Amino acid sequence: MALTQVDQGLLSSTAQYTGFKNRIINGAMVIDQRNAGASVTPTTDNTYTLDRWTAKLSQASKYSVQQSSTVPAGFKNSLLITSLSAYTVGSSESFFTKQVIEGLNVFDLGWGAAGASTVTLSFWVRSSLTGTFGGSLWNNAADRSYPYSYTISVANTWEQKSITIAGDTSGTWLTTNGGGINVGFAFGVGASLSTTAGAWASGFYPSSTGATSVVGTNGATFYITGVQLEKGSTATSFDYRSYGTELALCQRYFEKWEASEGSGEVAMLGQAISTTLVVAGPFFYKVTKRTTSPTITYSSNSHFNFTTATNSGNPTGTLDSSIANANSARLLGTAGSALLVAGNACCITANTASAYIEISGPEL
Amino acid sequence: MNYQIKSTMFGEQIIRLNDNGSLSHIPKKQDNTDYQAYLKWLAEGNTPEPADE
Repeated sequence: MALTQVDQGLLSSTAQYTGFKNRIINGAMVIDQRNAGASVTPTTDNTYTLDRWTAKLSQASKYSVQQSSTVPAGFKNSLLITSLSAYTVGSSESFFTKQVIEGLNVFDLGWGAAGASTVTLSFWVRSSLTGTFGGSLWNNAADRSYPYSYTISVANTWEQKSITIAGDTSGTWLTTNGGGINVGFAFGVGASLSTTAGAWASGFYPSSTGATSVVGTNGATFYITGVQLEKGSTATSFDYRSYGTELALCQRYFEKWEASEGSGEVAMLGQAISTTLVVAGPFFYKVTKRTTSPTITYSSNSHFNFTTATNSGNPTGTLDSSIANANSARLLGTAGSALLVAGNACCITANTASAYIEISGPEL
Repeated sequence: MNYQIKSTMFGEQIIRLNDNGSLSHIPKKQDNTDYQAYLKWLAEGNTPEPADE
């Protein structure tokens, strides 16, 4: 049947659309490459927790973060914050979690100029506390902020919230591979870092005035999931993506190679250039990284073996250095014993299921 | 957590000695958030450990 007429409403900028509707990655909290569901207690600021989510803090060990299976209908996971003390937040202190959306994923919003698009932030939240809670959106320079507030009416009950935000026509909003829009959920922010909700402000304000401090109550819990930031003035249904798609989106910023099946798994191939040295690679990543020079992390120098000419008595060794780009890395291995033969190929293999290699650094 | 500077055939490497025993090799690139954290750590008056060798 020929298509003879298209509803013009379907073509308008505010109509529902497919594709990358939700600019938040891992908004359903299903990906947790770093901790695999284990609870972590951040001790340093900017600790990455669930994929794409960062723990922000002014004092160490005031809360834990964990991927949770306590969820509203239609979800599998949430991000759980648990307060570990009854801490009184100082005026210039802040505790929150945030995601930095890459500028390349929000360039179409046109923020920082006339005509900036309206967006809507929606999420499911649950807390052991009730009252007014806060959060904020801000730019990479942290000189433009939009604090917002919402109310949790019933303790320990999931509620869905929606906040519509007129796009900022001022400030600088990156549309590069740098930080485009920061989206934060606060659970303890001091007075000097809080201001009136519902309006753009110059400066950095990660929460709204008078918001509830979760870290102020020992044992208090705060769950969040189904986080979505979309273009338009209406919160639409959550943009479910396949697990593989979501994982790949996360791997642009962080990925982990694991010898999960046990020892003997080949991490990479190389060539011995002496009786102890191996140049190995390319170690291809699963996904091209956001930046050209990621960090390479090895689980331990004792977790990898170097194959000898006879594949017997393979020594352990160190993976000392790397030259990495956005797609792959070259690695230098040093065997602990002079058992290699220069010119021979060499497999660098895991000798424990605990072995892993992480590619980090491109995280925002 | 601490840092170590090590010279290799690939040049000078910044190695972060993580609390869990893992080792991170950090490139000297401004757009790498780990390098940014290292520079902040230096600015706070810290000094990397000497190389093992």
